[in-house]
Amino acid sequence: MRKTTELIEENNDKRELLNSDNEQVYENLLLYIRTDLRVDEHAGEEILMDLLDHLLEAQENGKDAADLFGDSPQAYADELIANLPSQKRRNVFWLVASGIIGLVGWFAITYGIANVVISVFTEWNNEIALGSILLILLSVSLFGSIGVKIFFKIIRSSVFKPKDQQWKTYVKVGLYGMATFAFILGTAFLFDGIGPVMHVEWWLFLLIGIALLLINKGIGRLSNEQ
Amino acid sequence: MALRSQLLKGVLDACVMAVVEEQPVYGYELSQKLQRIGLPDISDGTIYPVLLRLQKNGFIRGEMRASASGPNRKYYFLTDSGKMELEQIASEWLQIATPVSQLLRRGGVDEKND
Repeated sequence: MRKTTELIEENNDKRELLNSDNEQVYENLLLYIRTDLRVDEHAGEEILMDLLDHLLEAQENGKDAADLFGDSPQAYADELIANLPSQKRRNVFWLVASGIIGLVGWFAITYGIANVVISVFTEWNNEIALGSILLILLSVSLFGSIGVKIFFKIIRSSVFKPKDQQWKTYVKVGLYGMATFAFILGTAFLFDGIGPVMHVEWWLFLLIGIALLLINKGIGRLSNEQ
Repeated sequence: MALRSQLLKGVLDACVMAVVEEQPVYGYELSQKLQRIGLPDISDGTIYPVLLRLQKNGFIRGEMRASASGPNRKYYFLTDSGKMELEQIASEWLQIATPVSQLLRRGGVDEKND
């Protein structure tokens, strides 16, 4: 059985063989199916590959995406999704876990670098309260997950809309992004100085961040081999 | 042909299984075969939700093989439970096919009998 990542890479290569009209329709369909988190990822990639192969062969014979997907690609995609197996619960767990670990990892790295940059300009107190950090992590995970879910929902609702209406999507996504960020900052502000205070050097943040990203990569590899 | 109704869905399932039983095929081949058989209005894409549904029910399975034209394709095979299902649908269909088509032809039946 081909691995999911191999399917995705092959898809990226093969997609370049499509003409621009077909590519447009196919990529919308692809985005719509990939952002549906209920769908089993591997099964989703397999059907996307089948469809791409079909579209390429149809293209050679003078047919186009409308012949394959019908007049309403969205209705067609919904029909496919309804018949695809759903994501196994264990996979969902690892997907969420890996998302949170990745987020926290990047957060730690950014925080470490920000410490260095800020301390160049002004006195920076690199003491952190353990309780506050835990609360911030919790808030990052919570609001991060909700943010991603809403983000995907907005993308999915606009995939098949005409191009001139797409700017609304960007505005919406931007606003939700800001709201998510505000919630996280709000937690940091509200729950400052809770729990024992520790002195943490900037490089320790960097190290923790890098370690978390490496762990994340390991999880990705493991879940991909299943 | 809008293949939305349950009846047509079932019939199309059986048609796909019958083609796959004859010889394992990949998606594009399957749609070509169905069109050649005389179901030309089935749009190419119609078969994929059917293939997914049949796979989910365990009636067919997919396997990667080198195709006649070269690149690897996912070929579909009929499973044992698929064979049983196909026989079941086929016998049910054959029981109703003749009377139903006579009935739906309307006037036609009477004309012949006159």
